[in-house]
Amino acid sequence: MGMRTAIEVRDLTVAYRDKPVLWDIDVTVPSGVLMAIVGPNGAGKTTLIKALLNLIRPAAGHIEFFGASYEDRRQEVAYVPQRGSVDWDFPTSCLDVVMMGLYGRIGWIRRPGRKERGLAREALEKVGMESFADRQISQLSGGQQQRVFLARALVQDAEVYLMDEPFQGVDATTERAIIELLRDLRARDKTLVVVHHDLQTVTEYFDHVMLLNVRRIASGPVEEVFTDENLRLAYGGRIAFLRSEPVGATAT
Amino acid sequence: MDLIHQLFTDYTLRMVALGSATLGVVSGGLGTYAVLRGQSLLGDAISHAALPGIAVAYLLTGSKAPLVLMLGAAGAGWLATLLIMSVTETTRVKYDSMLGLMLSVFFGIGLVLLTYIQHSAGASQAGLDTFLFGQAAALIQRDVVTMAALGGGALVLMVVFWKELKVLAFDPEFGRTIGLPMRAVDILLTALLVVAIVIGLQTVGVVLMSAMLIAPAAAGRQWTNALGIMVVLSALFGAAAGVSGALISSTTSGLPTGPTIVLCMGAIVAVSFLFAPRRGLIWRWVRTRRHAGRFHLEAALLDLYELGMQHEDPFRPHEVGALDVMSAVPARRLLERLEASGLVRRVGGSRWALTESGLQEARSLKEERA
Repeated sequence: MGMRTAIEVRDLTVAYRDKPVLWDIDVTVPSGVLMAIVGPNGAGKTTLIKALLNLIRPAAGHIEFFGASYEDRRQEVAYVPQRGSVDWDFPTSCLDVVMMGLYGRIGWIRRPGRKERGLAREALEKVGMESFADRQISQLSGGQQQRVFLARALVQDAEVYLMDEPFQGVDATTERAIIELLRDLRARDKTLVVVHHDLQTVTEYFDHVMLLNVRRIASGPVEEVFTDENLRLAYGGRIAFLRSEPVGATAT
Repeated sequence: MDLIHQLFTDYTLRMVALGSATLGVVSGGLGTYAVLRGQSLLGDAISHAALPGIAVAYLLTGSKAPLVLMLGAAGAGWLATLLIMSVTETTRVKYDSMLGLMLSVFFGIGLVLLTYIQHSAGASQAGLDTFLFGQAAALIQRDVVTMAALGGGALVLMVVFWKELKVLAFDPEFGRTIGLPMRAVDILLTALLVVAIVIGLQTVGVVLMSAMLIAPAAAGRQWTNALGIMVVLSALFGAAAGVSGALISSTTSGLPTGPTIVLCMGAIVAVSFLFAPRRGLIWRWVRTRRHAGRFHLEAALLDLYELGMQHEDPFRPHEVGALDVMSAVPARRLLERLEASGLVRRVGGSRWALTESGLQEARSLKEERA
């Protein structure tokens, strides 16, 4: 596991009309980790991802990827948005959507060619969707849509992957396939930050976790920070319903 | 046909056909992006907002040259778009409220100015009111050349920035993360839409011009799942409606061009919504019926099988009534259709039994569903 710092966030504050959505966030993500961001609805998980990607302008704060600004490292950062963020009735094929991951490198005016198609097919193969390459995207199930979005990020061959709820609305088989893929990326020293909503699987799937509720409650290795106390701090009294299995004596 | 002969000999008709084909191609092609982005109403706001621009351009220059009026229209359309964007970004006013507001305010100013011009100018200078509902018959070569140059330029830019426009329409946030300047592409697309609108104003009129952006794309989407084909189809539909509507109105006195073109476009949309394969209403209706029909037939066959198995004899005949109890539709008709396929046979009166092939079919259906 790499010891470098992949993402460094300092004093990040994001506000919507005077109301803080993220407040004074500090977090360090070492490279080569598979990190979950968990927290209740409205905790600012998606906002954090979007702020990292410069899609939302923060009110204050500083963000670095491998010691440089996002603008300088853009090529090394891939984004998997929530699949509900686009209109899946758009007239295009799976292969076409995956190729969009390469549009940034192709340059102006030029069209994606044989090389780009080959890379996109490879990415579809990695997510087990190669036979769907020419399929119209409106014919996909939720899990298949999610895998197409993953392929679009894979084709970018980035160092850091920021994913917003990649398990949302996918069946158990797809969830296992996706987590295998994420572990595979981690094994190749990629850094993955994943917005996740299922507390039951955090310990099984991830090695790092960040608990978020507008403020950063805790972040670090799962065994150190994924404690009942921190969960209670993040979720308030509702935590009893959210977790069936107590972490144990180490919690306090 | 006489009309087609005239098309090649009659100057006016030729100009009408060429001009309306140009506007149809340009607005159909570019309108595809407006529709896919869910910005159909922006076109309506831009076209209505263009009216005061036309009036002001005329008042300032005293010229009715197409380029002058189009520049005025484009300027006003652009100004309205900027106002809509900046107000929705900086205040809590909703996008659609702002669209409606700008549309009616600009249109109102346009009507006031137009009335002022009509009353103050000599009769020779009147005629700007044709911009309300359009008048194809007034098109002259100068107009058509201007339309073709501007529209051609807009289409070239659309092709040049094809992949950027595609990402903008599908997933603009993702586009920003891969380093595409989505804001600039957004401004480009809006500018192209403004061009598509202003070149059609003289022919179709400000009131109905937005239909020429929306309707061809809505019809085109029915026939294809590929963006490129959709753009081409929309352009062709736009041209077909433009030419047919303009020719009909030019050869019939007292028929305004805009509404005629829009009605022709409406016919194309109706045909597309009804008859397009896969997405068309009729296709979907037939498919649903077929599914439902097959489902009932299979159910009846399985019911007969299950009844037989209760007696440990799959070929044992049963009364229609026994099947009716289990079927959502009258079992008799289902059995008659199964009989035609040789899966069941009638055993005197109203009793029915499986045939050998019926038994095989029932068994494989059971396996399939297990």
